[in-house]
Amino acid sequence: MDVALYLLLIPLAGILAAVYLVAVMRRRRK
Amino acid sequence: MNAEALVHDYLRRLEAAATALPAGRRAELAGEVRQHIEMALAEAGARDEVTVRNVLDRLGPPDEIVDAERGADGPPPGWTLAPVQASAPASSPWGAVEIAAVLLLTAGAIFLPIIGPLLGLVFVWMSVQWTNRQKTIATAIVVLILFVPIILALGVGSGGAPTSGQLSPIPYLGA
Repeated sequence: MDVALYLLLIPLAGILAAVYLVAVMRRRRK
Repeated sequence: MNAEALVHDYLRRLEAAATALPAGRRAELAGEVRQHIEMALAEAGARDEVTVRNVLDRLGPPDEIVDAERGADGPPPGWTLAPVQASAPASSPWGAVEIAAVLLLTAGAIFLPIIGPLLGLVFVWMSVQWTNRQKTIATAIVVLILFVPIILALGVGSGGAPTSGQLSPIPYLGA
């Protein structure tokens, strides 16, 4: 795997997890 | 104490406080309170310990419910769902731990590669606002995206000589 591609995956992984957790929190408050 | 145990303990204290009521009315009251708790939890959309404690706090002490029941025909104050819902926005679930977790997972992933998201997950697991299932899903997202490519690359790499499609950083940094 190209290193540049992998370096892009690192923030993507964190951002996806954060989006999921924020969505859970927002859904709970509705 | 888990959420179900909290509800069970609350109902047990309610029944103990309601010994002065007729047996039929006592059972009816316990059923009504249980139904109210279930409805409030359904409205809240979660059954974790924090939500259950919030709902039970809004109901008030069992003694007060029994006193109100003995003193009036109508339901005790605080029984409607409105106070529970109205109080939810006032106590925001976003504490320092939750904010740190999200910041480390997003900005931390950019400025502290690998370490940032891993620290973010530590904060996620420290939080009481997310359930274990939600924490597990968030962890799985990070682990799958970050580590599966490494494992796959190492697996492929162990089978033969490195090629341009494998995780072998140094030769490609200058490419």
